[in-house]
Amino acid sequence: MNDACDVAVVGAGPAGLVAAIEAARAGLSVTVVDEFPWPGGRLLGQLYTDPRSHGRWDGRKISRQLAQEAGELGVRILGGATVWAVGRDLSLELSGVPVGTLRPQALLLATGAAERALPVPGWTKPGVVCVGAAQTFTNVHHVAIGRRVLVAGIDPLALSVAMEMHHAGVDVAGVVLPPVSTTSGALASPERAVARLADVADLAPNGLLRAAARLAAGKLSPLAVSALRFDLVRVGGVSIGFRTALVAVEGDGRVESATLRSVAPDGTLVGPERRIEVDAVCISAGLYPLTDLAEIAGCPMVEVEELGGLVPLHGPGLETPLERLFVAGNLTGIEGAKVAIAQGRQAGCSIARSLGRATLVSPEDAARAVSDARTSSPFRFQPRIAAGRAAMAELWQQAIARGDQSA
Amino acid sequence: MSGGYRFPSDEPLARQVRFTFNERELVGLEGEPIAAALLANGVRTIRHDDSTGEPRGVYCGIGHCFECRAQVDGVNGVRTCLTPLREGTRVASVAQWDVAKK
Repeated sequence: MNDACDVAVVGAGPAGLVAAIEAARAGLSVTVVDEFPWPGGRLLGQLYTDPRSHGRWDGRKISRQLAQEAGELGVRILGGATVWAVGRDLSLELSGVPVGTLRPQALLLATGAAERALPVPGWTKPGVVCVGAAQTFTNVHHVAIGRRVLVAGIDPLALSVAMEMHHAGVDVAGVVLPPVSTTSGALASPERAVARLADVADLAPNGLLRAAARLAAGKLSPLAVSALRFDLVRVGGVSIGFRTALVAVEGDGRVESATLRSVAPDGTLVGPERRIEVDAVCISAGLYPLTDLAEIAGCPMVEVEELGGLVPLHGPGLETPLERLFVAGNLTGIEGAKVAIAQGRQAGCSIARSLGRATLVSPEDAARAVSDARTSSPFRFQPRIAAGRAAMAELWQQAIARGDQSA
Repeated sequence: MSGGYRFPSDEPLARQVRFTFNERELVGLEGEPIAAALLANGVRTIRHDDSTGEPRGVYCGIGHCFECRAQVDGVNGVRTCLTPLREGTRVASVAQWDVAKK
């Protein structure tokens, strides 16, 4: 079945849903597609208390509310739909749903992010999962990924998920540094981990992360860490090994144990190996923007490390050099859900204006809301995100000066 | 955490449905991803690698890595982390491409 609409949105996460709502408010017909059967994207697994507003952030509830609001505005949400091609006319080829081809006037890609792989011997054994999978299984499906779990990765997301599993009743055997490898690089160094946590000390959305971050900002400052005699810091019932890294996972057909080694402050492995019994290992290696569809659409891509890697070139209103192709959310740089929501609103308004519709929110206000969300976000996944955004603005200006922008 | 892998929940649970994994009868919750239902039953290995024969299970949980693929109701290569469980769903760990046998 072929189908036309004013706006197609790929990704029913916070950015996509809010953009759809905004575009529908401007009187446009909108279809949102997502591979997952239920709307919400990564919002679904999020559950925390915002230290600034002291409000509970229940991602599942917010997902339901956004999907309901979208539905009331006539937005069609196609769950379980895989987009396998994007045409130069922005048409989408779908599988998994009765709609074969979707022909929109404007397209928003809000495809989000995926997790970086960080191979370690034994990482393909059943029981080794990405931190995001652990979060979804724990908070959304209420199923334990194991009885005794090791978390490899000392970062805001890994610590949050470790605490969520601990509270759910899983025996969290410890949180340690991810495997040291050519791909993990400085990720696995105690100095880097401590600096990374100190960066979020004021913002951390949960007790474990906040306590760990304060430790990092205080006595575990980057300078102090080299003099650190002890390895394990116990916070809220969970042990964090700032000087320990995962080196291998063992087991016959499934995870039975994990091998750990001490790490010097610069990330060098030192001392003997030691083995702990676990039946699951959760690896956190950071997120990267899921750019496949933007690339297929023919959008120029740029590498901006501070944003999380390769991202589509985009302007201040989330427009791209391709006419009527817009981007929002983690696809434009790795940030939290609050930023994604603000970007969704901005993209929805930009799309409405590109199709000749008036919007209640001015472009300036929409842009300001994104900066405000960034400042107040309880999560900062990329330490130098503001520099990354500035770099993108500069790249966009250069592209315009060269005359790349077709719009 | 008690005996099973499923956490106690304050929310009303979805309806229990029966399904099979490699012809073994199991019980899961209607609408949950097949991968979650398998994990709740203690099933970690969903398939074996087509060429090495090594066991594989859920890895990314978002449909990106394809490690959790299985045959579902006769269709090969279905990602169990994205596919909702229904009453009578038949799941089997079939080697998708049968590389080794060719």
